[in-house]
Parts: sequence; structure tokens; C-alpha cells
Amino acid sequence: MGDLTLREQLRDNEEKFAKTGSLFGLEQLHRKESDPGTYEALWHILSNLCNLAWEVGCRVSSSPIAVEGGDALWALNLPTGEAVCVSRGITAHPGLLADMIRNFIDLDYEELVGFKQGDIFENNDPHYGGIHGPDFDMAMPIYYGDELVAWVSCVTHVSDCGSVTPGSVGFLNPDCYSDGLCISMEKVGENDQFYPWYEKRIRSRTRTPDFVLGDARGRLAGCVSLRDRLMDVIDKYGLDFFRDAIKEYVEDSRRYAVARVRTQTVPGRIRKSQFKDLAMKGKNHILGKQDVDCMFNLPMEVEIDVDANVKFSLRGASGTVPFGENISPTALKSGLLNGYSHIIGFDMFNSGPTAAWEVEMPPAGSWANPFEVDWSASSGVAWAPAVMWMSNLYEVFGRLFQMRGFIEEMAAGAATTMTAEFAGITQLGYYLAGLTLEQASNGSPARGFADGENSAWCIYTPNADFGNAEVTELYYPILYLGRNIEPDSGGYGKYRGGLGHTAVWMVYGTPGLEYQCGCAGMRAKIVANHGMYGAYPTWPDAPSYAHKTNVKELIEEKKPLVHERGPAERPTLETAIEARDLQTHPIAPFVTPDELQNYDLIVHPISGAQAMGDPIERDPAAVEEDLNKGWTSERVAGDVNGVVFSENGQYSVDTTATERRRAEIREDRKRKAIPFKDWWTDERRRVLEKENMDPAVLTMWRTSMTLSPDYGDELRKFWDLPADFEF
Amino acid sequence: MDRYFVACDAGGTMTDVIIVDEEGRSVIGKAPTSPADESIGYMESLEEALEYMGIDPHGKKGRNFGERIETAIYTGTSMLNTVINMSGLRTGLIVTKGFEDIIAQGRGSQTFIGAQWSEITHMQYRKHRIPLVPRKLARGVTDRIDMFGSPVIPIYEHEVEEAVRELLVDEECEALAVVFLHSFVNAMHEERAATIAKRVMREVGREVPLEISSEVAPTAREVSRANATVIQAYASSTAREQLFGIEKRLDGIGYDHSLKTVLGYGGVTNIRYPRLFETAMSGPVGGLMGAKYLSSVIGEENIVCSDVGGTSFDAGAITAGVLPIDREPGFQDMYVNVPMLGITSIGAGTGTYIRLDPQTKRIKLGPDSAGGTPGPTFMEAGNTTPTINDANLLLGILNEHNYLGGKVKVNKQVSYDLFKEKVSDPLGLDVYEAAETCLELLNVMMREHLVRSLMVGHDLRDYVLLGYGGGGPLHLLGYAGDYPWKAIVTVPHAGAFSAWGGACMDYSYRRHKSVQTMITPDLDDTMKVAYLQPVNMAWQALEDELLEELQAEGFDRDQITTERIVYMKYLGQLDDIEVVSPVTSVDSPADVKELIRAYEDQYTKMFSLVAKPEVGMYQVTEVCVLAKVATVKPRLRKHELAKKKPSKDAFKGKRPVFQHGKWHDADIWRMESLKPGNEIDGLAVIEASNTTLFVPPEFHVRIDEHDIYWITRNDRNDRKDR
Repeated sequence: MGDLTLREQLRDNEEKFAKTGSLFGLEQLHRKESDPGTYEALWHILSNLCNLAWEVGCRVSSSPIAVEGGDALWALNLPTGEAVCVSRGITAHPGLLADMIRNFIDLDYEELVGFKQGDIFENNDPHYGGIHGPDFDMAMPIYYGDELVAWVSCVTHVSDCGSVTPGSVGFLNPDCYSDGLCISMEKVGENDQFYPWYEKRIRSRTRTPDFVLGDARGRLAGCVSLRDRLMDVIDKYGLDFFRDAIKEYVEDSRRYAVARVRTQTVPGRIRKSQFKDLAMKGKNHILGKQDVDCMFNLPMEVEIDVDANVKFSLRGASGTVPFGENISPTALKSGLLNGYSHIIGFDMFNSGPTAAWEVEMPPAGSWANPFEVDWSASSGVAWAPAVMWMSNLYEVFGRLFQMRGFIEEMAAGAATTMTAEFAGITQLGYYLAGLTLEQASNGSPARGFADGENSAWCIYTPNADFGNAEVTELYYPILYLGRNIEPDSGGYGKYRGGLGHTAVWMVYGTPGLEYQCGCAGMRAKIVANHGMYGAYPTWPDAPSYAHKTNVKELIEEKKPLVHERGPAERPTLETAIEARDLQTHPIAPFVTPDELQNYDLIVHPISGAQAMGDPIERDPAAVEEDLNKGWTSERVAGDVNGVVFSENGQYSVDTTATERRRAEIREDRKRKAIPFKDWWTDERRRVLEKENMDPAVLTMWRTSMTLSPDYGDELRKFWDLPADFEF
Repeated sequence: MDRYFVACDAGGTMTDVIIVDEEGRSVIGKAPTSPADESIGYMESLEEALEYMGIDPHGKKGRNFGERIETAIYTGTSMLNTVINMSGLRTGLIVTKGFEDIIAQGRGSQTFIGAQWSEITHMQYRKHRIPLVPRKLARGVTDRIDMFGSPVIPIYEHEVEEAVRELLVDEECEALAVVFLHSFVNAMHEERAATIAKRVMREVGREVPLEISSEVAPTAREVSRANATVIQAYASSTAREQLFGIEKRLDGIGYDHSLKTVLGYGGVTNIRYPRLFETAMSGPVGGLMGAKYLSSVIGEENIVCSDVGGTSFDAGAITAGVLPIDREPGFQDMYVNVPMLGITSIGAGTGTYIRLDPQTKRIKLGPDSAGGTPGPTFMEAGNTTPTINDANLLLGILNEHNYLGGKVKVNKQVSYDLFKEKVSDPLGLDVYEAAETCLELLNVMMREHLVRSLMVGHDLRDYVLLGYGGGGPLHLLGYAGDYPWKAIVTVPHAGAFSAWGGACMDYSYRRHKSVQTMITPDLDDTMKVAYLQPVNMAWQALEDELLEELQAEGFDRDQITTERIVYMKYLGQLDDIEVVSPVTSVDSPADVKELIRAYEDQYTKMFSLVAKPEVGMYQVTEVCVLAKVATVKPRLRKHELAKKKPSKDAFKGKRPVFQHGKWHDADIWRMESLKPGNEIDGLAVIEASNTTLFVPPEFHVRIDEHDIYWITRNDRNDRKDR
């Protein structure tokens, strides 16, 4: 663009946006208006190129999580960083990649380091726009002649990033110094080749260097494929058209996001909080400060004005935690773009919608903006609070859609994300640390008109799933003893959430295996999010394991083994086997204190999603169907759904008796109900007296109110508390 | 006595039968498909084709026509319809305990097979299909075989017995499927379960079809293997009944051979072939197989096949004469590890709807379409949304007086009015400019889809682009665009090319088997050879199996040719690539090097040099053997070449056609009157009763001695007379 440096272009873009309200000052989309066919054609071609890069990159990569799970993404970016179009894959990342490129420009790398064709830049450092250590972000400038006309960028999730505990879900990291190998805004290669030090650093600082390097090659191969083919495209359509159109795509997408909000929601202010625990007191930890339980307040406030401008705020977010569960505002905003794609939808998936909203800077010192106050905060698994925070988005917009009658668009709220990572010598004799794909198939949220789908949705990447057990067994020294749908795991409501599943693993073929039941957005002591419109929540995440078991003997005697979780009150693990260390209700997350041995068992449930509506409004025929499929229990069908049934090899619902039973439940509810004022008065007393409040809860509320004084004032006002009240 | 090939392509709506003589001359009959009894549609279609040959189907010649049929091939939808209509056998599943939900739960990615990215990201669209085996009919049996094939947990035989008894007696199952984890490495548990099941069947007095996954599809990935096994148990008996019904009707007119059907990976087989589920996805096979045969006639080994229908655009690439194979295709919202020709589809065809996004006014083509019913708006059959064919008509490319051979009445004004109201006015464009814009966008979508099918590792300058399907010639040169194809070709019978392709297939079987072998740099040469012995063993086992099957069909050993394939990857990668083995057996260090060289050549070609690790550690994950018997095929007749200038009777006159923003007079030609040797310059429209070839001004057409249309760009230096 003329003689402006990239940094000057950034400033120029900002000024034009501030002045006109349109990105790059594009009040008119001239290319689109004058040549709509070519405009669409070029978009189609550029999207295709991104998908080409994804296909090449994933197939070259070494992580099952990239290939089978699709946890990778390639993007084409403007010279100033904004994502123009993206491939399939992990849609949480386009925002991060755009901001990384912008950071290179802002830090004047153009002058200090210089850009040229074939340069490779990377970052995985959350302080500079990364999300967490294992997500390696890459960018390469694309020159057409002498002009930098675009960037290609990408991300892959590596199996081990060298953090203090093996693997890639570093929830135990006490500080950023334990987050592992750090690439902080670095030029890591040129002429399409990594520098020698890059490989050496990966070899000396990660536990699985061959896998990590395989992923690096995948990133590079994808980027080079896109870049090289883009040259022909610019030749064909002309540099001027290309230059103009790629900007128009971003502005066009912004307009689309605004239009969707205008036509499908209502103006006003709405706030929803999710709460999440991180129960670590009394468990193995790295530093003394970690012997605590933590609670997160994850509030989302959305304000929509009459012009459909959307403003997000995290006022009330609680403080940082001494674990790897703090996230930078940059990463959080990128996650928001991902969430927007699920609920608002995208005509063109790019950076445009990020200009259609404003995210107020989260309170400094909160989990969502840690570094302003605590530079050493860890982001080992930064998306743990973020994915739960994003569940608010589903609920908030679900309510807005409902107000305008778009019930087809409603979604009740996301499932939780509990991960399983293994580290140890595999059955093939080499060391491996890495994540299974189990958590990539939660149930999907209940819809405004139907149940969610079982094992069919992953909040952080829409095209992932749990893959095949036989593939997972190629990598890790485990044998699946079960992978069935978990009954009643989708909450209780008129429409239930999609059900999750439970994996049962037997350790086999290893001298010792570490099992890390990780928190990437899970809950252990408190219930998962509530569902909507009178639904009841599903239970917290509940893994279990057995160490030093009698399973080998049971096998020899052909006795029953463990293939499912079983009833919560009496899990099968408790009844079917014996073990020296039988942990039927351990509080997640945790790392097994001792390495598990062959024939040890792990029961790892993956949650379903949330329900919608009152469970006694659920169609009795749907309850009958769930009973017959084994997807709900008699207790839930009777007590929660208020259905009367008989069983004679097959369940059969008595609709008349069910109506009577439901009328009784309604009467019973009325009898138990108390006036709101009475409830409020009693609750207020409990708040004032801090009655039966866990220290984690007190800390959460205290930090929420301190870090966001106006939120504190609002809270005091609601409960009519003294002006100097503090938790 | 003349001999004939009779091939059939039964689609969801119409059944096409093509009769081809030994000289390659053909006639086509069409009749509505009759799903309840497919022999009805088949015979009606055959009778219509006979009538085109001047034979009265009910006269003596017609009643005995079967005696003159060399081969009858049926490509039908009976397996597909059985799955769609859920009308298969009540099937019970016996599965590794803890996996009873394997069919109902499936995989999350099965909820968006074939969906567009914007649909995939939007969770509300997800939907699992209705499982072919409900949980109620699944029984778990304790067992576990590990990845090496070791039985870590022996099969609990009492559980098998109990499961079979319950499924047969209590649940009244009509078929059984057995799927145990890692049975593709070691089938002993499945085989033992089958033995027990057969004993129990005898005891309870009920024999039902029994399928085990290690026989049906012995490759890794249990969800896909379970789906394949269940489909075989659920749908093959019903489908086979349909095929027997057709064979019986043919027998009634004197056909005394067995009816053949088409395998999803290309090739024909007897309808008694045991793994009938391999025929479930044979719909698009005919086109590719016809292309493969055509490629041998024209001497081109690299062909990009493109098929334009009313609703979809299918593409696949034949490289070095090798057909593309997808080892885990999606079928009716299930992944199945059934090898199938690698054909990818997008929702783009002549009936594709044209709309504008209400928010952004962006042009949206499809992915849905009006198809043949209700059809374009000009048919006035109830559709009021403009389609691609409305644009073709408005631009003068389609002849309003000759739509579907003049059988369908056309109201051009309706197209104009609706296009103006719904597309061009909102875009602020002239109607004709807007119509041309939409066509060009469709062409780009199709072109990108073609390129995508070739994207990884191939250069389209090495490929001949072949267009067929009812709408193929109409759009071929549009989507060929200015890309540097080696050549562009089409055929006069483009509309029935897929059915014709059915008559061009060899008798061909293909078997895959997963293996686990690894070669690391620390192994010495002898050890590398030793480590690859499982590959030799698996090749040999598969080859023995295929030879036995083909010899049982009556072929001699010396008629059968085989080919050996490996699937390889670098250690740590999940995705392997197909490599046609340069050696028939790995017996020496030189063989190992040769195999690795072939792999690395292919790998770097596909993914570039930057993707290649410095130190190679390799895994062979799967092997495959192809066994083939060449069959007699219809010849492509060689004609005397006529003059370049077509005869006068071929010229139909001139018609205004809108191109590049202006109206031009286009030459209109009658395809049936054009002769081999004729040449035509664009701007031209070549019309036949069942297709239209549109030649833009920058293109030139030459008809070769086989009646194949070769099309080149006038502005290309490489244009040459071939």
C-alpha cells in the first residue's frame, strides 16, 4: 500500500475504521459490487487453498490429534495480519494467528528483523499472543514480486511441549517458567528451512522430539503449499483485484456478523456466569502455593445496542490461579471467534466478526487477564476456563434467539472437557507422552426443539471426534475394555443434551504408565453448567482407577471384568474387581501418584452436554425410548421425568398415570415453593454470615468484587449488603 | 450371430440400460426404477433399448434376445435402498464387550459426512443416522486381542453362547454380525465365536446368515469395520434376492450366463460374490471405469473424470492408469472400510439453485437443487427459484425448442422474470450479465473441485480432462477454463457414459489387510528384510484367497494378473499413502531399498521436500492385492475420417448467445450428423437429443476416428492436431 510500512498501514487502518465504522475505510465494497462473480470465485479458490494446506499439513504431521482429531488450522492473512479465510480445523485459532502477525508488525520486525519470502516465524508464548505451550503458531510472509501481499499462518497441537509434567495439558504448571519450551515471537527459519537450533531446541526441551518435529514439518509443508499455489492465483486475477478483494472479504464478514445479530437478537444487556472448580487441595502438586482448591467466576456480559453493536465484558471475573489455567485476553478473544462460528455462523470465516464486537479488557489480575498483574502466571492449559466461559455464549444467544422466535438456533450450553493423557514407555518400546482423543466427542447441547446428539460435538474444534479405539491403541499401551454411551450424562430436561461416553482402559504392554486425568474445562466438586429454562444439570466429571488389581486372575478364571462406569452410587469398578489402590471417587483433575502397571484399570467418562426445559415436560415416548436403549435409568425416568412405566422385557410408559404423576410433582413443587422475598432474605443472611462457604468460594467472590469494583457494587446492591462488605 | 453387452445403471429415479454391440455401437433404454422389484424397471428399460434397435421385445427375436447377450451387468441400488429404507434383516451384533453401542454411537464425524464447512461448524445441524443395529440387538462378549494380535483376554465362550441364543431365540434376529477389536490382525476369537454361533444355530434349529468382520473387511478402525460387517449382514441377502430376480428374468429370454454386478472399487463380479456389500457404492463407478477404458484407447494414462448431473458434480482422477481408491468412504452417514473408487462430489449441477444471501447479497449456488423435479423455473412445474439451467436458457446456450429433445415445453419469460426479480435486480446487474456471472461462478466451483481432487502431488498439465454426464458437455469448457489441461475430451454418448462404462470393466477383485511392521535406521539390512516378512505373508495370503475365488468362478490361473500394493508412512504419522510396490516380494536388502525409494518418491511428490524427515523410520500399515481377469469389451469403432468441414445437414443455423458481456451469433450444429474428422470452431452449440456441447469462442473441436471430441483452446500455443 503505497510506501507505508506495515506498522503505518496498521495505524492507517485503525484510523479509517474509527472514522467510517468500516474496516479499512471500505464504506463500499467496490470489487464485490462491480464484479460479484469474480469476487465469489476468488473466495472459493482461496478457501480451497487453505484446505489444501490443511490436508497436506495434517497428513505430514505426527500427532494423532492433528490427523485423526483435526486439531490444526491454516489461514491466509492480510499483510497487516487479519485472517482472510481459513481451512477446516481448530477454529479457536484464527484470531490468535492474526494477532501474532500483528505483534510482529507492532514490534517492528519489518525493520529490525526484515521479512522475505521463505521466512518462518513462530510463537507459542502466551505472553505474546499464544494460547498455551503445545499450540505452535507459525506465519510466513508471502511476496508477489517485491511486495508483501499476504501471510500464510497455521497452528498444530504437539504431543509434548516440555512443560513440568509430560504432555500438553499443563494444568499443574505453577507458573509460566514451568510451561515448557518457549518460542517467543521468533524467526525460526528462512528459505523454507528451519534453522539448526530449532531442531536442537526441540530435541533438548521436549520429551517426544520426533513427534514434535513431525508436526513442525507438517506446518511448514502446509504453508509452503498454500504460498506456492497462491502465485498462480494472483497471476490470473491480477494483483490489484487480489489486494482489494482480500480486504473486502474481511469487511464483508464483519457486516454479515452485524446483520445476523440485528435480525436474530434483541438489544439490551444480559449476563450469565459459569462457575468452575479446580480441586487441588491435598493432592500432588509442584509448589506449596498449589495446595488449594480454586473456584472460577466466568461471567459473560453482553450488551447489544440498537445498531447491533455487541459489547462483551468479563466484569466480575475472579482472580488468577496458581495453576496453568489463566488465559491472555488475546487468546480469549480468539476463542470467542470460535464460539461465534457455532452460534452466529459464518458466511466467511475470518477476522471480520472481531470488528463487529468489542471486548472490554478483562479485569487486570483476573484469570482472563493475568499478565498485567502477575507476569509469571501459567497458561499451561489456558483454554480450561475459556471453553467453560464460552458455554455462556450458547446460553446467552440461545435466549436472544428464543426472544425472536429462532428456536432452531438455540443451544443449551457446552459439555465439560476432561482430558486423558498418558506418559510412559509404549508397547513399541519408545517413550511417548500425549493426549487421547476421547474428549473430542462430547454430547452436543440440547436444541430448542430436539435433544442434542450423542458423542458428536467438541467445543474447541468442530470437526474432531474420538477416532477409533484401534488407532489410539497403536500409540498408547492401553487396551479398551469399553467405549459405550454413558446413560443420563446429558442433563435432564424437556430436551436432554447429547450423551457422553465412558472409556474403560486396561493398562497393558508397558513397564509403567502415568495417567493424567487433566482439566481442560472440567468440574469435579460442583455440578456442570445448568442447562436452560428449567433443565437440571448433569453430574460433575467423575473418573476412577484401580492400581495393582486382580484383573489378571479374573481373566484367567474368566470372571466378569469392568466395561462401564455403572451406577454412580456403586460403580462397577467397586463391585467387579479388587485392587490395592482402588480409587472409585477420586476428585479430578489429578496425576496418578504411582505409575500404573499392566492390568490396572481406568474408567474415564466424557461428559454429555446440557439440557433444555423442564424434565417433566419431556415427551413420555422419548423417555420410554431412552429406557429401552439403556440411555436413562429407571430412577431418572421416574423421579426426574415423572414418567410411570412398566417393564416386561421392554419398557412401556403409562401416559395417563404419567400425567397424574406429573400433576402431583407440580403440586409438590408448589407446596415446597416459598416467596422469592423469603428465599432472598434467607440467602442474604447466609451471604452476610458467609455461612458454610468454602475458602475457594470466598476467594472467588472476593477477587471478583475487588478486581471489578462496579461488579462488586452491583452484587452488594442486589443483596443489600453494607458498602464495606467483602467476602 | 451378433453378440451384445448389456449394462445397466439403475439410479434412484431412472434405470438406464445400454446395449452395445461388438463394434461399439450402442442404444440406450430408460425406464423408471422400481425399488420393490428392480427386475421390472430393468426389463422395461431393456425392452425400450431393443425397440431402438428395431427389435420387437415381444416378438421372437426379442423373446430370445438373451441368447445373444455375451455379458449382462447390473449396477443397482438395492443395497443402498435396503439401508435407506431400513428394510434389511433384523441383525444382531456380537461385539467386544463394552462396545455394544458401536453402531448407535458411531463417531461424531459421521454426523457431518458430506456437509459444507459452514454446516459443520454449526452444531444444530448434526444428526446421527438411525442405527442399523439398535443397542437392544447388540451383545458384548469379553475378549481382547492387542495390536500385535496376541490374545490378552481369551474369549469368554459362555458369553458367546448366551449372546447367540438370546439374539436368535429371544430377539428373533435374522442375521448375525461379529466384530471384535483387532480381529484384522488375529481372527481367532471371531472364528471361534462363529463356530459357537453355528453350533447354537443348529441346536435351536435356526440357521441365519453370519458375518465376521475379519472376513468382511480385515483392516484397522473398528467403527468402519463394524459398519461394513453390519451392512453385509443386514442388507446383502435382500439385495441378492433382487439380483437373482433380474437374473431369472434374463434367463427367461435365453441368457444362460450368470448376471454380473459392479464392485465399488471398479470391476465386475458374479452376483453370487460373497462380500456383496462391496457393491453397495457402485453408483459412480461406471463413469470412471469407462474413462479408464477410454484412456487405453486414446493412449492417455492420466485422466481427470468429471460428471455433471442435475444435482451434483463428481470428480476423480486416474493417475498412470491407476484408479483412485478411498479406503474409508462415507456411506449413508457411516464410515465403512470398504475400498471404493475415490470420487468426490459437490452439490453443483444443472439444476443447482441460484440465490442471494439476504444479509450480504452474496451469490449462493446450491448446494441444493431443483434437479429434474421440479426442474428449472422455465418448466413451470412449481419451482420459482432460478437455477443454473435457467441461466443457460437465458444466455441462449440451451435451445428453448429442443429441451430434452423437445419433449419438455419451455417458458423462457418465466426464467427471465424470476431471474430479474430474484438475482439480477438485487445485484444491480443486467439479467444476462447476472446469468453469465452465475454460470462463471459455477464453473469456478467445479474447476476448484477438480483441482482439489488432484491437489496433493499432481500437476494438471499431465492430465486429460474428460467430461460426461447429462450436463457434462454443457459445462465442460466452462470449468476447463484456461487451466493448462493436457487435453479436453468428451463423447457423444456423454449422457449414458456411466452405463457404457459398466460394459467396459474387467473381472477384478481387490483385498486389503492391515499389517504392523516398522523399519528403523538401527536395524541392519538382514533385519530390515526380516521385519518386512509380514508384508510378504499378507500379500501371499490375499493373493491365494483372490486366486481361489477367481478360479472358482471358472477362470484359469494364467488368465489372472495380480498387482501388489503397500500403504506406508513415516513412524509417528497417522496417515499412510498408497504405493504400488516395485517388487513382488521383499526378499533382499535391495528389495527393501526399492520399496522405500518408491515410497519416498511418492511422498515428496505429494507433500514437498520440506515434509520429509532427515532420518526415515518407516511403517507399513496395510497391504493390498489386485487380481484381474481381462474381459471382452465393446470396441471403440474406428471410422474413416471425413473432411474437416461438417456436412451441410449438420448445420442447424445461428442463434444469439450471450458471451463475455455481449450477444454473438453462434453456429448451431446437429451432433448426430457430425462425422469423425469434422472440426468446429467456437462460438458454437452442438445439440443432440440427450445432451448439448457448448463451445465458447476461444475453443476448437476436432472429432477423432473413434468419435471422441477433442477440444483445445485457440489461444494456446500447444494446440496441435492429434
